Amino acid sequence: MRYGLIVLAGALAIALALLTVAFSRLRNARRQLLDKEIEHQGMLDRLKENEYRLRAIIESEPECVKLQAADGTVLEINPAGLKLVDADRPEDVIGKTIYCVVAPEFIEMYRENMRRVFSGESVVYEFKAITLKGRIAWMETHGVPLRDARGVIYALLGITRDITEHKQSEEQARRHQTELARVARLSTMGEMATGIAHELNQPLSAIANFARGCIRRLRMDGMTPGDLIEPLEEVCEQAERAGEILRHVRDFVRKSDLQMRPLDINQTVRTVVKFTELEARQQGATVRLDLDADLPRVQGDAIMIEQVICNLVRNAVEAMAEGQSPRREVTIRTRPIDGVAIEVETVDTGPGIDGGIIDQVFDQFFTTKPDGVGMGLSISRSIVESHGGRIRAESGRDGGATFRFTLQAGQQRVRRHDHADSLHC
Amino acid sequence: MITPTVFIVDDDQAVARSLRWLIETIRLKVETFASAQDFLDGYDLSRPGCLVLDVRMPGMSGLELQERLVAQRIQVPIIFITGHGDVQMAVRAVQAGAFDFVEKPFNDQDLLDRIQKAIHFDSGQRDRNARRAQLRAIFASLTPREREVLDLVVDGKPNKAIANTLGLSAKTVEVHRAKMMEKLQARSVADLVKMAMQNQAVS
Repeated sequence: MRYGLIVLAGALAIALALLTVAFSRLRNARRQLLDKEIEHQGMLDRLKENEYRLRAIIESEPECVKLQAADGTVLEINPAGLKLVDADRPEDVIGKTIYCVVAPEFIEMYRENMRRVFSGESVVYEFKAITLKGRIAWMETHGVPLRDARGVIYALLGITRDITEHKQSEEQARRHQTELARVARLSTMGEMATGIAHELNQPLSAIANFARGCIRRLRMDGMTPGDLIEPLEEVCEQAERAGEILRHVRDFVRKSDLQMRPLDINQTVRTVVKFTELEARQQGATVRLDLDADLPRVQGDAIMIEQVICNLVRNAVEAMAEGQSPRREVTIRTRPIDGVAIEVETVDTGPGIDGGIIDQVFDQFFTTKPDGVGMGLSISRSIVESHGGRIRAESGRDGGATFRFTLQAGQQRVRRHDHADSLHC
Repeated sequence: MITPTVFIVDDDQAVARSLRWLIETIRLKVETFASAQDFLDGYDLSRPGCLVLDVRMPGMSGLELQERLVAQRIQVPIIFITGHGDVQMAVRAVQAGAFDFVEKPFNDQDLLDRIQKAIHFDSGQRDRNARRAQLRAIFASLTPREREVLDLVVDGKPNKAIANTLGLSAKTVEVHRAKMMEKLQARSVADLVKMAMQNQAVS
């Protein structure tokens, strides 16, 4: 019995001890749980705090910050963004597609940039926007992909700003530059015309003076027929001198040392396009190339031929702008002619050339432009003819002017490796 | 009197010869120079006439020659011949004192008229210059006393007042006055005043 009691007491003690231990563990666990809970709550608070902070930053960000889904739906946008597109409330934009504020001609480009962001790229692009209130503005967007926890791209994070002012001053600077170039070109031609006029004035004045002197003497009866011979000889000499000056003008191009070299005319065309493209773009015109890949080389002076093509392209661009043509496109085409020559053609979509004046367009000082000098086509013809070629003008049946000139082919052919980049562009 | 000469400066010899042929019809002497420098080297200041000058010339231009002449106080009237479109140059030339300009191609009568006018202007100018020089010489020949008396007479002072001012006797003043009038060949006080004023304007 006693033994039984001892065992019982022992068992109780053990149980008590175990209970105590268990209880204290339980308490510990509870405390830990509580601590965890507090910690968790703190974390949540901090997270929330962070989110608020981030949101505050984004909300107060002076530039437009927005999230867009792959299809262009706006998921979120900050107040600066709303202001940028002239939206009064977030719901005017959120849930709607971004494309309703992108100018139609820029939608394709915008889509392409969206595709790139959703394939993981970061992009910067400019586009013309039409805001909800119809205001037109230039925008620049920096777009980066936004990934979820699993790394899947779920949105485009875009920061957009208004670059209209910058764009306008850029445009203005560019316009100023073209204007300068135009004036420079005009004044060179004007100077040339002035120079010719001055040169011609000399013999003409001399002729007039000699003739007037004769008339005055004859009227005064102070002259015998023999006295007339000397001044009349002077008159003849001066008339010949005037003729000589005119011949010089005509031969100006022919006599100026032509640097004849084998030319890849397609290359020449591309060079011209490079420095006329900007001018064309500003007049709303595009320059299209349709270059035959299998052209023989021609013997020619690259600078001179460039001048001809440049003249034709500029004339076309100016004619289309002047004629307010709705579609403004110049096509420069090259093709071989029976392997012995090549032909360069410019076709525009302008008003064309009036049938009555088509024979005069290459005449010196003939111009239809208000500030034209009438030297461009005349010089172009001299250049082509000095290369042994011909130049013609045609007016298309459905409008537009076509100019065509030929150049004699040399011996060598254009090498094949030039073909790849001479396709349509 | 010396016949006036039209001096032509033009690098274009044909034009210069034709101008000579034309200008000789109004019975003027003509001399041609092929450059501005030739003219400066060969021009005799004392010869009356006018200058017909091409604005544009290689070397010294017509405008530069004009500047040189102005700097040397040579007053020969200049008619510029300008090419078409050189009106600005012509305006500059006239502002710098050119007599006139004609634009090429010009009407012969127009040029000849201008040349006549220029020559007339030159002779008038030469006459005036000669008279002034003469006047200056006469005034220079007055003694200091005569000069003092002249100044007071011109001021309107009677002999008595002049005598008082200069501390001379009325008689002495009268003698000086008579001599001075004689030298100046003045018949009246009005003449004297006029001449004194002219001289003042000159010197």
